Amino acid sequence: MDENKTGGAVGKVKDFFTEIKTHWNTPAEGKYVPYKEYKDVVVAVGSNYAGSKVLEYIGFWSACYLIMHHYKLPYLTFSVIGILNMPLGYISALMWWVVCDNLGFLPKKTERKFYGVYVGMMLFGISTILFDYSLLFNQSGTFITYLNGLEGMSATACFKTFGTHFLYTGWVGARNIFWRKKLLPKYGRYKYSLYCDVVPKCIMVVLIGWLPVYNIPDVATRVWVANLLFATYNVFGFANNLETCTKSISPNLQERIYVRSYPVKISHIFHSILVIILPAVVGSLRHEWADINLYRYVIPITFIIFATLTMLFAGRIKERIPQPPIEQKPQIKFWDGMFGVLRNKYLLINTIVGLIDSLGNGMLPLVTILYLYTFRLSGLPYSLIVALVSFAGTPPDFFAPYFLKRFSYKQIMIFYQLSRAIGNAIIAAAMWFCGDNLMVCGTICVAVLFFMEMTKTIPTTAGHDMNVRIGDYQMYLSGERLESFAGIFGWFTGPITSFVGLLIPIFLLKYGFNSNWEVLFIDASRRNIIVIPIIVDVIGFALMTIPYLFWDYDSKKQNMVMEVLKRRAQVTEKQAQQAGTSASGGYLG
Amino acid sequence: MSFLKKKDKMKTSAKTTDEAIRLDIPEEEIWTYQVEGLAAPHINKPFKNFKAKKILLTLVILVAVSLSMYFSIRTVQNETFEYEKNDTGYTLTKFSNTGFIRELDIDYASSISYDEGNSDPETNFNVDKDNSIKVTSVGPYALNCDGTVKVINIGADVEYIDSKAFYSCWSLERIEVDENNPYYCDIDGVLYNKDKTVVMNYPCNHDQYLREKHGISEELNRVTSTEEYRQKIQTYVVPSTVETIGELAFAYVNLREIYLPEGLRRVETLGFFKLHEPGEWSNTPSLDNIYSYKADGVDNTALTDKEALGEIYLSLPEGLEYIASDAFSYNQVLSYLYIPESVNYIGHHAFWDTVYKEGGELKGVTEINVAADEESFRKAELGDQWRPQYDYMLFKKSVGIVYSAERAK
Repeated sequence: MDENKTGGAVGKVKDFFTEIKTHWNTPAEGKYVPYKEYKDVVVAVGSNYAGSKVLEYIGFWSACYLIMHHYKLPYLTFSVIGILNMPLGYISALMWWVVCDNLGFLPKKTERKFYGVYVGMMLFGISTILFDYSLLFNQSGTFITYLNGLEGMSATACFKTFGTHFLYTGWVGARNIFWRKKLLPKYGRYKYSLYCDVVPKCIMVVLIGWLPVYNIPDVATRVWVANLLFATYNVFGFANNLETCTKSISPNLQERIYVRSYPVKISHIFHSILVIILPAVVGSLRHEWADINLYRYVIPITFIIFATLTMLFAGRIKERIPQPPIEQKPQIKFWDGMFGVLRNKYLLINTIVGLIDSLGNGMLPLVTILYLYTFRLSGLPYSLIVALVSFAGTPPDFFAPYFLKRFSYKQIMIFYQLSRAIGNAIIAAAMWFCGDNLMVCGTICVAVLFFMEMTKTIPTTAGHDMNVRIGDYQMYLSGERLESFAGIFGWFTGPITSFVGLLIPIFLLKYGFNSNWEVLFIDASRRNIIVIPIIVDVIGFALMTIPYLFWDYDSKKQNMVMEVLKRRAQVTEKQAQQAGTSASGGYLG
Repeated sequence: MSFLKKKDKMKTSAKTTDEAIRLDIPEEEIWTYQVEGLAAPHINKPFKNFKAKKILLTLVILVAVSLSMYFSIRTVQNETFEYEKNDTGYTLTKFSNTGFIRELDIDYASSISYDEGNSDPETNFNVDKDNSIKVTSVGPYALNCDGTVKVINIGADVEYIDSKAFYSCWSLERIEVDENNPYYCDIDGVLYNKDKTVVMNYPCNHDQYLREKHGISEELNRVTSTEEYRQKIQTYVVPSTVETIGELAFAYVNLREIYLPEGLRRVETLGFFKLHEPGEWSNTPSLDNIYSYKADGVDNTALTDKEALGEIYLSLPEGLEYIASDAFSYNQVLSYLYIPESVNYIGHHAFWDTVYKEGGELKGVTEINVAADEESFRKAELGDQWRPQYDYMLFKKSVGIVYSAERAK
């Protein structure tokens, strides 16, 4: 009996290896990805993901350790900058969508106009940095005195911040057209940006740590110079592009899920190792997270290593979305794009969920406060707790294919929102009632965080998968994925979320939270600063279950949509060949 | 039976189907073929009521953006002075600097008016006071991380000042109290309660005031400092009347030596938190030593005459009973710590991060000397992680305690 069992197990292992050996270079029938590419996915996505995670330590937001310990900028100032940038954001988004959803291929005339606008924006932005436009206004007038009264700002800083956004938008816009057109046909829509951004990004990562902008004594000047520095840093991206690329690695739904559940998940081990090593290295610095050497040496060196590995393996990951050749794609006109996405019911549901989720906007990062200001963790103990909690999400992810088969997206997402609500409610109660007892409070909080992480990964995988499906559905509806035009929903929600996002920072200011995070060492203040926003968040999570009740997009519908897309690709490629026109970038599935 | 039924029901409710689907789509219908249960594709053909829809969409967005901007702008708009009524007058709840107010009076409700025609933003405003509205109290975080105000003048009618009222006022040099105020007073710009039993606020930038007072133009740091500079600018004698070091009283100040009276009973939360060197050295801790003295009747806060302090000894004073949370945190150059037998409460993280490792060598508070024996000391209420910790074999280890220790000379 035992022998049979062993034989069966050994046989299975043998079959597994034979299968891998046979299809190492060529995929099995009905599949699209050879196993060699699985190996490449592990290294490429692993490095890309870890590198992008390293960049999470750098950002123009209050919870960034560089801002927290060195720049010390007022919390509300970030909201003020958001408001200043909002109107231009609307205008620039229009142009951005047209460029992106046409993959950078615009009619010549339109392209020239776009370049003109972008260069104009850049010139205006540079002029605001060189000259002080606030001097053109009456210094005693309501406008200037209002600007001078904004938290952490002055009229001069406001104009320069406003101009910086013009510079940034123009610069990013012009690069977007230029590089898309040049690199997208060769590298595909998801990873082309890595090739043009990686070198300047590495340079900016080094500069961020070494430029002593944080020593500028006047806070308003520090704000606008920091904003300019970080805007320049943000011009160049290094997102998790290769993982995004794996979402379209196969037209076979099951194979997509396998790639995302195994090689992609295994690739995250790079990051898991990093989250253990990095804090341990930081713990050995004299001032730990407050030590500037973190930004001068630790972050740049780590990032450059992962960026190099990413670029070495990026070329080996392929996109396989069934799509017509780029030259045969339907041109997306602006209004068609807008109305196209508005017809997508599932994007609408996601938008409503996002809108409710904005109730928690402006909250401080709970985990940072918990680990650094409540339990004072650093070095290896910090690493281990972070690793333990983040590891909680890994085992369930291997069962993702089962759960995604067994339960509907609707069921998974409703469970997810309810588990967040319950978990956060328990954390709030623990901090309120036993916040002084670090052992009890800490154990409860870590246990709940573990539970929440464990129950997060399957919904996250389901969400990623569903986003790809929504993209497929949009392609069926409009002939393109319209991923950028989907931003139209942000136009409706943006005004509401940006206003709602102001409420928590103002509330936190009342409890003493401004630019000095060490107020969190005062027990009574910390309790108010953490707990009240969590309660608001709990309400949000409970409400977020409602929109999911209306979700009805299932695998049967998805399979039918894919059939339509494949058929379109076949027919258009055939037509292109018959007409003797060029056909690049298409995929038949 | 019912269980089976439920299971069957769940199976049918599962939404995924792996069955292969083949659709027969004619070539001419590839852009129009509608999948059952989904909306029909709409590709390269006009929308119905296109113009009306465009106008409606544009209007909705315009209204939404305008409303959001309007409310957002109103929300972030700060009144320079915000007050709330209390039983005896008004509480100053929030002061938002115009960017140029360097001296702030807290006596009557104030507002800002601007001089038309004056284009210099530093001088084109007036602070108008309404003498009929008395400010009697200053709320927590009324001034929070202000980097401009240098002098605060407390009026005669102010009855209550929260210990967190002037939190992280980085440029604050002096707090002057009207001599007719029955509740508070100041000693050379440092805030005390009237009978000087509580020291409430030693301003963050008080060293700047002392430099001006002593005619020293240059700000010196740990490396460039002289003995005279250290004594005049970086040394403070807490008067002998003081029984309590208030919450945040000496937080973030630039002092290297502090003399505490033997009558001191309590050090409140963050009382001596993160004392540090100035300017670019702000990450370097400053507090080298705490001394205690025995003499009575000491009210000179400058160390001009050491003999007037009577017997002086290292570290915390005899008679001290209460050390609150984070009372001495982050003072990494403090090297000697002695806890007298009288201490019966030490809050969590009271001496946090006062030790560190450099080149494999422990520096700072490497051990804690306790007057009491182990058994007696255990009777005191001790908060979590009250001892400093250092890196040890990849983990953290608390520094050791020397019980029944003799105080160092």
